[in-house]
Amino acid sequence: MGSLGRGRGVAAAGLASVLAVAAATLAVVYVALGPGSPLVATCAGAGPNHAALVVEHGDGSVVTRCVAFGSTSITGEQLLDQSGLSWSGETFGSYGRAVCALDSEPARYATCPGADGYWAVFEATGGGLWVLSPVGISTLSLADGDAEGFRYVSDSGDPVPPPSATGVCGGSAPPAAPKTPATAATTTATTSAAGASARLAGGVDPGILAAVVAGLVLAGLAGLRAATLRRRAP
Amino acid sequence: MIAPRAWLVWSLAAVVVALSTTNPVYRGLVVLAAVDVLLTWLPAGRRIRPLVITVVAASAFAALVNALAAHTGADVVISLPSSWPLVGGNLTLETLAFGADLGLGLAAALLAVAPLSFVLEPHDVVDAMPDPLERTGIAVATSLNLVSGFGRTFAAVRDAQLMRGWRPRGLRSWNEVLVPVVLTAIEDSVLLAEAMEARGFGAGRRTSYSAARWSARDLAVVLASVGSAALFVGLRFAGVAIDWFPYPTIDLPPIEPSLVAGCLMLALPALMRRPRSRP
Repeated sequence: MGSLGRGRGVAAAGLASVLAVAAATLAVVYVALGPGSPLVATCAGAGPNHAALVVEHGDGSVVTRCVAFGSTSITGEQLLDQSGLSWSGETFGSYGRAVCALDSEPARYATCPGADGYWAVFEATGGGLWVLSPVGISTLSLADGDAEGFRYVSDSGDPVPPPSATGVCGGSAPPAAPKTPATAATTTATTSAAGASARLAGGVDPGILAAVVAGLVLAGLAGLRAATLRRRAP
Repeated sequence: MIAPRAWLVWSLAAVVVALSTTNPVYRGLVVLAAVDVLLTWLPAGRRIRPLVITVVAASAFAALVNALAAHTGADVVISLPSSWPLVGGNLTLETLAFGADLGLGLAAALLAVAPLSFVLEPHDVVDAMPDPLERTGIAVATSLNLVSGFGRTFAAVRDAQLMRGWRPRGLRSWNEVLVPVVLTAIEDSVLLAEAMEARGFGAGRRTSYSAARWSARDLAVVLASVGSAALFVGLRFAGVAIDWFPYPTIDLPPIEPSLVAGCLMLALPALMRRPRSRP
């Protein structure tokens, strides 16, 4: 009975220690790499020229980015890469590269373009109106002041353009703040309702903060209980 | 003590929360809450090492299967020859992450039901079942008891055969152990069935010496558990993103503070003072 109790206490203490270390590690990783962290730059571009990116999801939420670049022009693919948004695509012969998933929509896909919807690509030159791009993003060329737009449309729907890119890179809308002094690239806030309401101005995401605190509290409680078990063991 | 039915509600709610989302943050919090509850209410003399080993092994297996069988994702870690059946193809960071997430969900679900086995007595579990499920509950509990009985019989028969000079020599030699084990298991089942019938199983409603009374703490556990499960189910139907998929490119999971609070509500039994057990 004595060895049983001792073994129980030791096993519980070991489990609690592993959980506490795991929770603390996760907390540090999350705070270090999570949204709002100063260690993570969401835009890598730099240079005197700017191009806007407008992404309208299937649920209507809109994400905008302004990307800076040094050369006279960049491709739509380079703009996506430098925007920090996650995306994946496939190459279709002379059309070039098509976007299969963008900013986690669709979350998973078996075929590209998907059976339910696809990403329609638009281009706006010099602040003009959106025009459906006849080429893939790998061959789409953007110069200073141009914009690239994406809208997730259902298979049966018309490719209606996304909202205007006016103000994404300054102009009538408030100019975006530089993320770091080293890069002149700017990023406008995500206009997704959930994301915007959840993000504290310049601080850590409240969800991350809550999860970290909750994880540490629960891991600490597990440690306390394990210590109690060990003390009770004869 | 907490009433058996309150434990049943807590376990069901924890399982609902763990399986209603693919977000590893919420699943991880459910694991922590379940461990807290288990350590708080673990009776003296009960060992949790077999549970820990089972949970870790099952989770690791689930993670490994997903990592090897799924070949989607953008960040390739290693490429296995495509001629290899099932596992051939790209092994990606995304499949590894989603496999770990699956393992975490499995661990959360296993730990959520652990108090039914570790904290309650078998008759408590049967009493906690709703009346229409009473006989089914007894049958299931009896079947589960046979699993451990099978293990004990296996060890006893193997030891006896070893003492008689038997040594394992290939797969066929195990016949000499498995046949007696199966025969003994069938004999035990018949004995158990006769014992249950002699004690009036199925003759009428199950009676108990004393009816369990509900206290304020039972009510609090039930309310917190139901509230937590309702929060997850409700927000899912309301369209809040509570899931996480790493495909096609891995990203950090979104976290909703209200759902974190929902996970914390499951830890309520861990905050309750446990009555001292008698020596």
